[in-house]
Amino acid sequence: MKIAVLGAATTKFGELWHISPRDLVKEAVSEALDQSGCSRSQIEAIFVGNMLSGVLGGQENLGAFFAEELNLPVSAMKVEGACASGGLAVHAGVMAITSSLYQTILVVGVEKMTDHKPEEVAKSLMGAGSDVERQAGATFPGLYALMARAHMKKYGTTEKDMASVAVKNHYHASLNSHAQFTRPITLEQVLTSSIVASPLKLLDCSPISDGAAAVVLSKNKKQKTKNKKQVYITASVVATDSLGLAERQDLTTIDAAVRAAKKAYKMAGITPGDIDVAEVHDCFTIAEIIAMEDLGFFKKGKAAASIREGKTTLGGRPVINTSGGLKACGHPVGATGVKQIVEIYKQLKGTAGKKQVKGAKIGLTHNVGGSGATAVIHILRRD
Amino acid sequence: MYNVGILGYGIYIPRYRIRIDDIAAVWGKNAADIKKSLGVSEKAIASLDEDAVTLAYEAAISALKHADISSSSVEVCMVGSESHPYAVNPTSTIVAEFLGVGRNYLACDLEFACKAATSGMIAIFGLISSGKASIGLCIGTDSAQAKPHDVLEYTAAGGAAAFILGKETDCLAKIVDFASFTSDTPDFWRRDGVRFPSHGGRFTGEPAYFAHIEGSAKHLLHKLKLAPSDFAYCIFHMPNGKFPREVARRLGFSEKQLSPSLIVDKIGNPFSASSLLGLAAVLDQARANQLIFMASYGSGAGSDSFVFEVNKNIEKRRNLVPTFSTFMKNKQYVSYVDYLKYRGKI
Amino acid sequence: MLSPVKIWRNQKKIQKLLNLHGRILSWTKIYVPPLGFESQAPYVIVVVALDSGINYTAQLVDWEEKHLVIGQAVKTVLRRTRDPGEEGVIPYGIKFKPL
Repeated sequence: MKIAVLGAATTKFGELWHISPRDLVKEAVSEALDQSGCSRSQIEAIFVGNMLSGVLGGQENLGAFFAEELNLPVSAMKVEGACASGGLAVHAGVMAITSSLYQTILVVGVEKMTDHKPEEVAKSLMGAGSDVERQAGATFPGLYALMARAHMKKYGTTEKDMASVAVKNHYHASLNSHAQFTRPITLEQVLTSSIVASPLKLLDCSPISDGAAAVVLSKNKKQKTKNKKQVYITASVVATDSLGLAERQDLTTIDAAVRAAKKAYKMAGITPGDIDVAEVHDCFTIAEIIAMEDLGFFKKGKAAASIREGKTTLGGRPVINTSGGLKACGHPVGATGVKQIVEIYKQLKGTAGKKQVKGAKIGLTHNVGGSGATAVIHILRRD
Repeated sequence: MYNVGILGYGIYIPRYRIRIDDIAAVWGKNAADIKKSLGVSEKAIASLDEDAVTLAYEAAISALKHADISSSSVEVCMVGSESHPYAVNPTSTIVAEFLGVGRNYLACDLEFACKAATSGMIAIFGLISSGKASIGLCIGTDSAQAKPHDVLEYTAAGGAAAFILGKETDCLAKIVDFASFTSDTPDFWRRDGVRFPSHGGRFTGEPAYFAHIEGSAKHLLHKLKLAPSDFAYCIFHMPNGKFPREVARRLGFSEKQLSPSLIVDKIGNPFSASSLLGLAAVLDQARANQLIFMASYGSGAGSDSFVFEVNKNIEKRRNLVPTFSTFMKNKQYVSYVDYLKYRGKI
Repeated sequence: MLSPVKIWRNQKKIQKLLNLHGRILSWTKIYVPPLGFESQAPYVIVVVALDSGINYTAQLVDWEEKHLVIGQAVKTVLRRTRDPGEEGVIPYGIKFKPL
């Protein structure tokens, strides 16, 4: 597989009350298109990653909605897979190009969450889980808390281990001008923040955010480019598992991510050790620890210590979540999967600024829907 | 005509308790005075997620196990309560569905303040006696509500008792006879759409509780030519600790005959389940050939009196399901604020 | 308002899950509830491995702190679940109670 990423951009993530979804998308798309060097008429299809437009905003038919906004009346559709909507939209774009039906396409991920009360948002997000979980009064922090406690019991993972993930990601975010949170935090601050769903505290949880991200993908590489580095997607894999936690085999792992990653490494012809930099789905701190194990970067039960020791912080390898991850960069649900591609693109192009991983050649994105029902893995490399 | 008896029974008392001391403290009342005048010290309260349906279900599943009868053989299901969750939509069908009763059965919801369930017992008796049904389920259930600061707040409790009735063979106690005494007396009532009941204060005593219980009791004893001394036990509806003791004394029953039934001393007044819970507590210790006297009371007003004769089969049915003593061991005290939360008042 | 048809269809599944025993696989105490569960918070939810072979997720009721451990034996009970609001049909469902 060799799909060229011609352009990639995100808006700032955060509580952007004054910016509408239309304007968020326009901003991200125009920057991505500028970078790509493509003319608007070259875009043959638009894939929109989004989860909550209908349940929160009353708006469906999002493909047509943004096609109109962008004045691109081409093939357009919404792709949804809860928090993996963005990654799935990228995957849909990859499938479109691989099919030869389209040559150059646009993927945009967007979410507007801060217009609504947190309780309403929490309830809508539970659309990603099972009905039994909704009837139990579960929330996403609750579901990941259940996984955290099982991981703590099985591997001795501590609250401090989880807190160090938050500290690392806030540090990285302080170097990211697009991040929602711009200041570093301390372990103490995380450990003393209020409990949301035991043992997860406020600072263990990603925030509610608005934002958009866009990428231009093509069969053809860029013709004229000052920056000689060309970035390609060399693997795009989706795997699914049960909607509900109860039906999983093991509460301490996201098996869909394990399976998708194995297939992706094979597709790209690499091993986990080849990954220099990765954006993983840290919707909650425990999720990053589990992801390190699921992706094969560390053995089961060993990731926590390595993270605490700084092995995945800037300067280490693999460097995880230079954008600040979902935790500190923000998590506008449908945009996250696309933003992850943007971050890796910048790392491989060498345009990541203060958070640049030196000599990054191969990167990975890990985007999860629900508590692990959907997992999308992309591998990117540069020439 | 068939003789009818109790084939099994089951009860359910919710876990949480609140002490009269803690309620009195909130309203600045003297707890000792209240405990003395009402004769109660603590009451059982249902959780926010419990209601007359869930309480009835727990009691009924226990009764079916006790009687060793499958739910599919139940042909009549009657549920009496003052706190049916719906004004229109029967509790009896919801409970029966969860029990797995099947489709060929009669379901009926009853209301007559605290005597709704005993009315059901009489109705089911009629169906079985006439040969129209073989097995009937009668449940008294309430997650009682009381207005904060009202005197009722000290006694209104939650609980349920379920009885499986059938033909005399294999029963553990036969229903010998019953009699009712009824009038239109507005001592305690709740208008449709209003959350908490209202009552006539002292008017709930002589003209209501005492007049009707004495009326039905004397009528039944006279009919059967029996005297209080013929009975091993007596049970009266227990709105508080004082009234049943007083009416027992007036009718000529002794403290010894009455005390095994006094569940009010431990859990307060669970309305429609009150006298039936007293009956269950008595049956837990009653022995073959003993006679039991029971009189329920429902405001509005009426009293149903019963005479039961215990059968030796009762010995085969000991310790099969949780009894009143079991539930007494499983309790947790809550504060007044938690009580308000659990009863949905805040 | 919750759909009465969905509640009706769901309640058939619930009858089969009553009075079953199992053990806690994991638990959490929810302090920040979703819409409709505000009056109940904080509450505990558990994933339980039922003796029958399947797992189930539901609230834990009538518990004390000592029961909040992985491995605690529990049984299924019938309780009210989601808030039906002023007018809706009341949904009943499964919750767990420590043994």
